[in-house]
Amino acid sequence: MIKLIASRIRAFFKSFQLTITLLVLLMCLVVLCTLAQVEMGTAGAVNAYMRSFFVWRQFAALPFPLPVFPGGALVGLLLTINLIVKTMDIKLIWSRAGMWLIHVGLVVLFAGEFVAGMMQVDTNMSIEVGQTVNYVQSYKHMELAVMDVTDPAWDEVYSVPDTLLAKGGAIAIPGTPITLKVKRYFPNAELTTLVPGAAPSMATAGVGINASVVEAPVVSADNDMNQTSAFIEPMAGGRSYGTWLVSVALGAPQSFTHEGRTYALSMRLRREYLPYAFTLKQFRHDLYPGTDIAKNFSSLVQVVNPSQKESREVLIYMNQPLRYEGKTFYQASFGKNDTLSILSVVENPGWLLPYVSCVLVSLGLLVHFAIVLRRSLKRRQDQKES
Amino acid sequence: MKFLTKYLAWGTGALALLIALLVTLPGGKARGFDVNGFGSLPILEGGRVKPLDSVARNSLLIIHSRQGFRHEGRMVGPDEWLLDVLFRPQVADQQPIFVIDDLDVLGLIGAKQTKSRNYFSFTDLSTHLDEIQKQAMAAQPISAQKRTRFQGAIVNLFDRVYLYYKLRNTMQLAGSPGIGWEIQSLGTPDAAMRHQDLTQLAHFRILPPPAGAGPDAWQSVGQALSAANAGGGLHPGLVPLAKLNAAYVANDPASFNQALAEMKGVVSTLKPAALGHASNEIAFNRAQPFFVGLTIYFAAFIVLCISWIWKPELLRPTAYSLLAAGAIVHTLGLAARIILMGRPPVTNLYSSAVFVGWGAVILGLIIERMYRKGFGTAVAAAAGFASLIVAQNLGTEGDTMGMMVAVLDSNFWLATHVVTITIGYSGTFLAGTLAIAYALRKHIATKVDVETDKALADMAYGIICFSLFFSFVGTVLGGIWADQSWGRFWGWDPKENGALLIVLWNAIILHARMAGYVRDRGLMVMAIFGNIITALSWFGVNMLGVGLHSYGFMDKAFWALTGFIASQLVLMGICYAPARFWASRPGAKT
Repeated sequence: MIKLIASRIRAFFKSFQLTITLLVLLMCLVVLCTLAQVEMGTAGAVNAYMRSFFVWRQFAALPFPLPVFPGGALVGLLLTINLIVKTMDIKLIWSRAGMWLIHVGLVVLFAGEFVAGMMQVDTNMSIEVGQTVNYVQSYKHMELAVMDVTDPAWDEVYSVPDTLLAKGGAIAIPGTPITLKVKRYFPNAELTTLVPGAAPSMATAGVGINASVVEAPVVSADNDMNQTSAFIEPMAGGRSYGTWLVSVALGAPQSFTHEGRTYALSMRLRREYLPYAFTLKQFRHDLYPGTDIAKNFSSLVQVVNPSQKESREVLIYMNQPLRYEGKTFYQASFGKNDTLSILSVVENPGWLLPYVSCVLVSLGLLVHFAIVLRRSLKRRQDQKES
Repeated sequence: MKFLTKYLAWGTGALALLIALLVTLPGGKARGFDVNGFGSLPILEGGRVKPLDSVARNSLLIIHSRQGFRHEGRMVGPDEWLLDVLFRPQVADQQPIFVIDDLDVLGLIGAKQTKSRNYFSFTDLSTHLDEIQKQAMAAQPISAQKRTRFQGAIVNLFDRVYLYYKLRNTMQLAGSPGIGWEIQSLGTPDAAMRHQDLTQLAHFRILPPPAGAGPDAWQSVGQALSAANAGGGLHPGLVPLAKLNAAYVANDPASFNQALAEMKGVVSTLKPAALGHASNEIAFNRAQPFFVGLTIYFAAFIVLCISWIWKPELLRPTAYSLLAAGAIVHTLGLAARIILMGRPPVTNLYSSAVFVGWGAVILGLIIERMYRKGFGTAVAAAAGFASLIVAQNLGTEGDTMGMMVAVLDSNFWLATHVVTITIGYSGTFLAGTLAIAYALRKHIATKVDVETDKALADMAYGIICFSLFFSFVGTVLGGIWADQSWGRFWGWDPKENGALLIVLWNAIILHARMAGYVRDRGLMVMAIFGNIITALSWFGVNMLGVGLHSYGFMDKAFWALTGFIASQLVLMGICYAPARFWASRPGAKT
């Protein structure tokens, strides 16, 4: 019985019908994902269609979303199983060598995309000319930084990620006597100046007293940023320091003093500190003569890594990224009248897999089509002779 | 007899090549002025050095949609037109060159009631300039995809009028007495102001970098006058230009041609390489290899169609030799582009269409050599013709040899990824075209010819394998380029998805055939669907206007694309329908 079921499953997974159905599903997904990008932005559409097991849709009549289509992850997984089962089924003979190479290459390619989907981290680093930066920051995720700025020589930074703020409650800041009480958290909000006569702000201290905060729907399109905001109440030594408004929309950090130490609060894009630092020595934005067409962007960066005793200059420019300590830094954007350079930073442990796959599959296709061509020519020859 | 047939056939091809060569020869002088010589003066515009002739052709193409027009009973060529715009604006302003098709825009300028025509001169439009500018400025901030038809049309008209306005204020401020007068009145109170206007409005820079300046420091007339006004000395090219100007206004061809020689002397001392480059490009402009190629492909296709009903043993080789002649012209054109730009063949949407056509024609020639049934010729001629028509329509947006934006500025990746993927497009289209031929033949041919059907299916299958290889390798190479320049291999960007769709579809066809779910007819229906997929990923994704690849946006093509898809769906239906299903008696198979 079990044997029968097992063989049925095996037969299911190695059928050509499955292959074709999955490929057609994948095509549909690719089309849907492409069209959805107009509304949702690339990242949003990819997460909804490609990096999920099901495509969910919220119907007005139902309180919960329903899966309406298999997602890219499910199709990819099934396709990989199908591919592996089928590959094992290909006879180990020389005339099938091309097939073997192609399908093994495809497995590697899928594995690469899987690794990228699961483990790739996209961040960026913006440096002004002359500035030294030792962190990368997220595109979308926020954190609330509590900085001990008492010593002018250095700041001690404790940060609370937005996911923790969203849970609310009291958050003890390690290493300090402070506990933060999250009174209200807005994933996205619109901040305006409080008009006279309106209901007073929740804030009792800082610039938030004069601000009116309205919750806004969360955005996911590529160029939109959520104005994450929160009302928090720092407590220390049994005493409240008032309710403060913290928001990405606010520029400068706000500070209060407890027992002679000054703490600054700032909502900002989530940072990851690096054991090395980049200094931007020069940024170039060349144009073709007499036009506004960009010819080249490049950043001359001094990489200083104390742990490796390394200090060297690197030129990062279009089509020439810097791969360093598992991260890839590439020239992405610029600003502030060409004095600010924005480097995109990608960390993907599986970045080599597509290269391997490319070689395997190209080779496989060549071998296979050469074999087919030879057979077909031979057949024509035989036909002519007979 | 057979001998004669062979010579006749190849003679036709040779004749076509001879005609192509004749087109390349320069035309005569217009009213005694050496307009060709004027057109070959090098200038700097759009970031590269090119002959004035290219500026004239591209500007006239943008403004008028054609590279020449009839006025007062004779043809005015691009170079002569430009001369009038630059030096005799009062004459050029009267020439009806602005095409306006949009009814709302016609209504706006109040012309609809008076005369039934679509061509307007600058003078006609001049009373409406304020209104056009006001409307265009209101529409400009809206992104191109979201504009209404009227907004799109008014912005387009404004851009064309502004281009014309810039051209007529490049050499002299229109209405002023000319360059000679400007040189004389250096240092007078209003001079600096005028020079500033001239500098701002200049569309191109005609004065080569003076001795000691950087290699890209070309100057416009306004810049040179400003420099002279500030006491920096007169640019040696200004005096010959002033002479050219005066002679053209005075209608004195002899002194014009002499001044032209002087100007060329100045250029050849300051920037010797530019003159040679400009005259190469002007020869390429005149030759119009892709237009000539398109005509020859059309002839080849017609000849082949006739061969199916009349004298096949003579006409089929004739069609083949015409196709070969077209391919030679096409290849030479591609080679000339590569040499002129110093870039691999595909750099923008226009050149991808040219290259797709070339790939299809070359494949078709090979297939015809292998099977000799005339199908290779027919399909290659049709595919070459169609893709060059597409290219001609894509080329109306200005300079087809524009500079590459920074991220695309990599000859290595342009040569590998872009070329491979474009060959993949060629193959998919060729397989689709073969399938269309198969579908039509099935219904038109009077007798069932299993062998030919089998041969066609074999050809299509082989070409699909070929395109799967190229589109897969091209896509993966694209991923590697993306990894090199953006740090990620695959980002589900629309263009990447489009390429992936082609790979997936070709893989589906091959697997379905291999597993026996479809046979020859099904394979052919699927191959026609491949045309739709390829067209969508080639042009459709540009219309979405999202992603890193959306550099080739166009809106007019939307309806063309929709029509194409509809036609392919109909052809799929025709292909799927049993042979002669429309015959009155089902049993009447012959």
